[in-house]
Amino acid sequence: MKFVGNTLSIVKKDILLEFRAKEALSIMVFLSLLLIVVFNLAVDIDKDNVSSLAPGILWVVFAFSGVLGMGKTSLSEREDGAYLNVFFSAVSMEVFYIAKVISNLIFLLFMELFTIVSFVVLFNYDALIKGLPALTLPLLLGSIGFSAVGTLFSFLSTGSRFGEIILPFLFLPVVVPVLIAGVSATDLILNNTTGGALLKWLKMLAVFDLLYLTVSLMLFKHIVEE
Amino acid sequence: MKSFRLTKMLLLTLTVLFPLCFYLIFQVAPTERIMGDVQRIFYLHIALAISAYLGFGVLFVSSIIYLIKKNPYWDCLASSAGEVGLLFATLVLITGSFWARPVWNVWWTWDPRLVSMLILWFIYVGYFMVRKAVSEKSRRARYSAIVGIIGFLDVPVVRLATKWWRSIHPRLDRQEGGLDPLMVKVMLVTLFTFIVFASIVIFIRFRISWAEERVNTIFNEMEVSHG
Repeated sequence: MKFVGNTLSIVKKDILLEFRAKEALSIMVFLSLLLIVVFNLAVDIDKDNVSSLAPGILWVVFAFSGVLGMGKTSLSEREDGAYLNVFFSAVSMEVFYIAKVISNLIFLLFMELFTIVSFVVLFNYDALIKGLPALTLPLLLGSIGFSAVGTLFSFLSTGSRFGEIILPFLFLPVVVPVLIAGVSATDLILNNTTGGALLKWLKMLAVFDLLYLTVSLMLFKHIVEE
Repeated sequence: MKSFRLTKMLLLTLTVLFPLCFYLIFQVAPTERIMGDVQRIFYLHIALAISAYLGFGVLFVSSIIYLIKKNPYWDCLASSAGEVGLLFATLVLITGSFWARPVWNVWWTWDPRLVSMLILWFIYVGYFMVRKAVSEKSRRARYSAIVGIIGFLDVPVVRLATKWWRSIHPRLDRQEGGLDPLMVKVMLVTLFTFIVFASIVIFIRFRISWAEERVNTIFNEMEVSHG
């Protein structure tokens, strides 16, 4: 019970902090909007190609906006050694890691919802709204994977001389399976294909999440032990 | 002294193995029916790929041991094996490209094997970025060990994801078929030669790295004792 209580306290602290400072979320949301605009200018999205381009564009936007936002949340913890005070209050590193994964997950899901709504509005692509209930699971599983790897690597990169600059170089190659599975699952849902093919990608996302949550939980203490 | 003698002996063995290898590849191995002589690059390509995986495997195991024991010895071994692995992986991508051009008429194709090797290459470039980005020794060793472990675990997942991904996208047809028994024998000799070569290079690189580490430690101790 103490584990759950401590985790929720840190999550609550992160959300409250974000609600007041509006730093990570605003970065994520504005970058996602900017990326959609840039994509449109580069690819010229219209009603004929929107359904084939949407899954790829959305997941690339999620990955890039997410990585920047997660870098920011870790930087806030690193500033003046704020995270050390959490450890001094006898909270274990595992609890801290899980709490940060949940906080980042909440921010990621919020940004993804904003991105989807913006995409629907900007490209009159209603199919995305209709498919939203079915998209919930791949979005959730993909975001857990992003958050598990992103939380670990963002703490690692903010502890280096290069800061968050190094984060995309570490994060993006590792989350390639999440990107592939997320794009494929979204593509299938938007084309009204369900069943075995979709289940295969969902299973891959679930396996990735389980693997990286377990491994990152074991490795996280080696990042913060100073 | 003993290890120095062993290195010398293995290097001497290579002076026999490498010429033998190239003789087998260019003179003994049969010419492939469709691809012709260019297929001979296959022996080097596969041997380089397996040697690269050997390097990354050593990096993975050494990184785990480092995080348990915190002995810089394992960090030196991990980074040395990583350097050799990355070099070999780069050569795999280059030889693959040279092979693809005359055979498939493209420099690059998004085949699962190629994509997973490229992703792997990016992961280990990231590994060395981390080593460059952290100056404090113990922190650098811990951080890079984490990247080494996470990166290696990603290999089978990336491979599976790219394989499934290609199954729903158009791809260039690849001629699949069994290898001629003589080709297999040449392949095994080349593989053995390259594994010995990679092991020696890792070992030599490790000796240099470990010597540097000890010299630095002595200098630091002298600095502390002399104020």
